Amino acid sequence: MLRFLNSFWYNFKEYIILTVLVIISLFVISQNHSPAVQKVRAIAFGSFATVTSVVSDIVNVKSLRKENEQLRETNAKLMLQLSKLREAALLNDELKEMLALKDTSGFPLVSASVVSKSFSRVQGTITLNVGSSDSVKVGMPVITDKGLVGIIYSVSGNYSIARTLQNVDLKITVKDERTRENGLMKWNGERLVIVNVPKTYQIKKGDRIVTSELSSLVPFPIPVGIAAGSINVETGIFNEIQVIPFVDFSKVENVFVLKTVASKEIDELELNFLKKFQ
Amino acid sequence: MKTSYFFSILLFIPVLIIQTTVVPLISIGQVIPDLILILLVYYSITEGQIYGTVLGFFYGLIFDLVTGSLLGSAMISKTVGGFVAGYFSSENKIDIYLMFFNFGMIVFLSALVDQIIYSFFSAFDISSNILMIFFQNAFLPAFYTALLGMIIIIFAPKKRIL
Repeated sequence: MLRFLNSFWYNFKEYIILTVLVIISLFVISQNHSPAVQKVRAIAFGSFATVTSVVSDIVNVKSLRKENEQLRETNAKLMLQLSKLREAALLNDELKEMLALKDTSGFPLVSASVVSKSFSRVQGTITLNVGSSDSVKVGMPVITDKGLVGIIYSVSGNYSIARTLQNVDLKITVKDERTRENGLMKWNGERLVIVNVPKTYQIKKGDRIVTSELSSLVPFPIPVGIAAGSINVETGIFNEIQVIPFVDFSKVENVFVLKTVASKEIDELELNFLKKFQ
Repeated sequence: MKTSYFFSILLFIPVLIIQTTVVPLISIGQVIPDLILILLVYYSITEGQIYGTVLGFFYGLIFDLVTGSLLGSAMISKTVGGFVAGYFSSENKIDIYLMFFNFGMIVFLSALVDQIIYSFFSAFDISSNILMIFFQNAFLPAFYTALLGMIIIIFAPKKRIL
């Protein structure tokens, strides 16, 4: 028996090792959401990001001048918009007072730099140089001046990982700014799409897509992209709407983390509502 | 052998830093070459199939941990990638396999397997066109990786390093 095992090992050791390692990998995949794994991951990427942030700073030095010019231009444009918005805000405040509406604006921003990127076609993630010490929490939206980049997924002391919109695991409720119709947007491995859109919806090519107030992740409108037409129109009662994102994820370097997470109060209310009917 | 693993993992760290900071700058569209796989293929050819398989496992584990991708997905794909490359690890043919074109072909084959498995475990939408996903997620990155591998191997030592 021992000789047989010995001979078996000698003849098939490559395959045995491969099988064992594949089984371990499959086991690890099944343990992805366990708190212990999350903790180990937070420590690992926190340590790694400390090194990559230095390299990233060196790599990005060249692009800083160009970015500075762009920022000046954006600043000038924003100054003009701001003066318009101030007028509108005054009017808005007056109207809100008259209607007794709650103020939902004014979320603080935390500026951050991208220290490393993982752009596989299905699992886009970026590592940011802000973490729990900057009050960054899981679930906070990451934005640029152009629009939504992604959502914070894991946080360590000084660093955090955000899933970009080009990540199959990130799904966000969005709406058409013109028609106010809502839908679930996700990355399907090829493109950004709003799925299961009834054919009766009036979303047209060129419409601006923003995050919906219905979203539990981003509960107020942030620009996402432009509708680029429908796909899969031949079958079924649903369409898929392709969305071209405003943000170029491969070039994003400086971002802001919006210091808000979905309201616990709303979550509790919704949970109670569900419990009532169970 | 243990020392050998230590050095190959030590060398992996700067490669990983370059992969996550510099390599995105040379992406074409969303196609990004995989430097880690090139290093893995090099070690699989020079050190053997078992070495490549085990090394792929550790490379994948570290990659998954620091990039935030699904933990286990790169582990499994790099393990199999190292195993496939290890088929070209004959002791007396190392120089042949490390030649410009041959190395490129081995990297291409290994990267193709690696990317197919990685994409599969990343669970993209099954309603999408499978052939298109295969082409975009596996063939193009594998081709780009092979091209880069052919350039790198010109400068790499033809005997075992470290």
